[in-house]
Amino acid sequence: MGEPKRVRTACRSCHGGCGVIAHVKDGKVIKVEGDPDSPISHGTLCSKCLAITQLAYHPDRVLYPMKKSDNGWERITWDEALDTVAEKFNDVIKKYGPESIVIGQGTGRDYESHLYRFANLLGTPNVLTAGHMCYVSRVGATLITCGNLPVSDWSGGPRCIVMWACNPQWTNPDEHKGVDFWRAYKKGAKLIVIDPRKGFLAKKANLWLQLRPGTDAALAMGFLNVIIEEELYDKEFVDKYINGWDAFVERVREYPPEKVEEITWVQQDMIRKAARMYAVTKPACINWGVPTEQTLNCTDCTRILTGLMAATGNLDAPGGNAFFVPPPVRTVSQFSRHRDLSKEQWKKRLGGDQYKLASRVALITPKVAWDAILTGKPYPLKAGLLCGTNPVSTRANAREAYEALKKLDFLAVIDFFLTPTAELADIFLPAGTWLEQNHVADNWKRHGYVLARQKAVEIGECWQDHKIFQELGKKMGQEWWDTVEDALDYLLEPAGLTWEEFKEKGYLKGDQVYYKYKEKGFSTPTGKVELYSTILEKWGHDPLPKYTEIPESPVSRPDLIGDYPYILNAGLRTPTFFHSANRMIPWLREIRPDPIVEIHPETAKKHGIEEGDWVFIESPRGRVKERAKLNNGIDPLVIVAEHGWWFPEIKDPGHGWDISNINILTDNSHESMDPVMGATSLRVLLCNISPCEDKEEKMQ
Amino acid sequence: MKKVSLMFFKKDCMGCHSCEIACKQEHKLGVGPRLVKVIEKAPDFIPVYCHHCARAPCLESCPVGAISRNERGIVLIDNQLCIGCKECVEACPFGAMQFDENTEVAIKCDLCYERLQNNETPACVRVCPTGCILWGDMKILFERIEEMTLNES
Repeated sequence: MGEPKRVRTACRSCHGGCGVIAHVKDGKVIKVEGDPDSPISHGTLCSKCLAITQLAYHPDRVLYPMKKSDNGWERITWDEALDTVAEKFNDVIKKYGPESIVIGQGTGRDYESHLYRFANLLGTPNVLTAGHMCYVSRVGATLITCGNLPVSDWSGGPRCIVMWACNPQWTNPDEHKGVDFWRAYKKGAKLIVIDPRKGFLAKKANLWLQLRPGTDAALAMGFLNVIIEEELYDKEFVDKYINGWDAFVERVREYPPEKVEEITWVQQDMIRKAARMYAVTKPACINWGVPTEQTLNCTDCTRILTGLMAATGNLDAPGGNAFFVPPPVRTVSQFSRHRDLSKEQWKKRLGGDQYKLASRVALITPKVAWDAILTGKPYPLKAGLLCGTNPVSTRANAREAYEALKKLDFLAVIDFFLTPTAELADIFLPAGTWLEQNHVADNWKRHGYVLARQKAVEIGECWQDHKIFQELGKKMGQEWWDTVEDALDYLLEPAGLTWEEFKEKGYLKGDQVYYKYKEKGFSTPTGKVELYSTILEKWGHDPLPKYTEIPESPVSRPDLIGDYPYILNAGLRTPTFFHSANRMIPWLREIRPDPIVEIHPETAKKHGIEEGDWVFIESPRGRVKERAKLNNGIDPLVIVAEHGWWFPEIKDPGHGWDISNINILTDNSHESMDPVMGATSLRVLLCNISPCEDKEEKMQ
Repeated sequence: MKKVSLMFFKKDCMGCHSCEIACKQEHKLGVGPRLVKVIEKAPDFIPVYCHHCARAPCLESCPVGAISRNERGIVLIDNQLCIGCKECVEACPFGAMQFDENTEVAIKCDLCYERLQNNETPACVRVCPTGCILWGDMKILFERIEEMTLNES
């Protein structure tokens, strides 16, 4: 008994990073508090982090390895579990080659270094992540354009902030958290919000541009058009540091504000005002969100937004979009040993010839994995290991994902709970939460920090993900370390620190330098910002970015609008959940008990739908139901729906995975994807709505 | 001793619900009673919370004197004395008074009385990412809200 022990650590309930003080009593975490000294969160915390004790000690959490037998799930030892996975994988390698094993993860959760090391040493190029349409796609597109990911420099004091399809105070900001944005905003920065939905920030904004979902790239071209026509760009930067400016200008001239108004539904006056405000207020940053990536315009939209930063001289400028200097620790890439994947294996990456940018950043789009499993072409995938991912909920065309995973000869899953995806597995490996791990956290991010996430407790027989990859790797003869902490010493070595020393320090920050290009140029083939991309040109693609009409929209498919008259803006994020996680957490579910579809009051009235009714949402590919919430802050032609829903309280193995799963409706055909990245169109499609026969009951 | 209270600067509430979970954690509450609650009416968010009113209808309505005000002005309920009649729940003009179905007594915000004694801020205030929850001396609170409203415009 006595006073609780306080363990300083870092959250990972989303991408993580917020500073936490965990109170531990009698070997149990009884409470978590924000760490006021955290450079990331400054003492604040979100609901997901605050509810961690309800997740860690949840009665449904699986606390030991299991195998599926004829009698259902059966408890086994770690040795038996890892031996089984190793044996199955070795069989596949012998018969088909290592490329027939797919390794997958969900969103970035600080184990990509270990997951990729395992995959590379195994010899499979087929790593399936969310990266084709989330963050990594942005990293990839900026790598080929300006050599690095430009990140909003909140502490540098932006005077104008463009919040582009992003709500960092609600969900999962990749680098810095919403609290840093808020501080910058509160210092009096101007705010421009690009969002089809009137949210909290739209209300705060100096200018709110309510665009047609999915037309971000066209809107950004409209901004550039105004900036170029009115000569508001940074001439010196453009002359010295942009490759192909003249060709780019020619392309931009194809997007005058009047045409952009037609495409985006944003009034041309608003486009002009916003473009001017962004261009003349210095410094200014653009803070972008994943909706810019989750259409076939993924790569081009990122490149156009980078063009805006570059043309206005805000690239790598204090208070603009900076390239943050990382602390001197080994990178995810070095730890992962990407270079050790042989050329021969590299060439076998599924879809590698088609989705060249995805291949460049070492991942595959899910479609090619599902195709390989279901059709055996170009070669079959036979076995898989998925960590912290629920693709049957979160990937486009969820039904195909479900069928494919079901068909794998062998599947092992690493997770906390038996999710609908985990239920399809043969072996379940129980992962530790962030309270149960030692790690150099945030190492994959580009904000210039690494953080000490230190273990507060151990629960059941759960292992932190890193240990699972390490021990499985060792079973398969791979080169790893004796302990998780030995590997952390290796990561930290260049900083001259051991894990024990780093733990005491809490975090490391890189020494930030701005305008690095003035000395070294940009890390691209021409050393300049490649708005005209020599890499895309080499790959046989249009070297200049453009807006491509959304493949399923009122413009591109007038034939469909009779049956599907609305634009479905799918994938609304909410602050209490992280993608498909947390639906079993009592505190969080109390706040949001049901999946929500937002409908404009006029539209709802037309269909006889009232607030709280269960509503069918239907696309050309299927039908699901969510609960209506009326919102007059959206266009009457736009329907907004939450994603990630399944129902842990439904005890059959499907856990109601297809009842409210918005990705039953989304498309993953090759034609609907970004041609170089394989980003799927998770955000924009056509739909219709109708009240459910029984408006009260969802479980039928 | 100075009288203290709690106040939200509503315009800066962005509906993250962190205050709710921090409160649940601090008071070891399960599903049911929500001593602070944010109602979403996009794009607005309406926090529902105990104002520790100068004239507290809950206190006045209680037939058994289970609700009292302490030396710092914090309105508290004694769950040993509460008979579960819900008069206070009816009386509260804000909807802040809660009823715990498990223990069958009323329950309310105690402004994290124990934390205040340890010189800590209330749990909801501590986590709020926009700093829209204020606590402290009543007079100063009103001044700060006024100042924030001016800055907003």
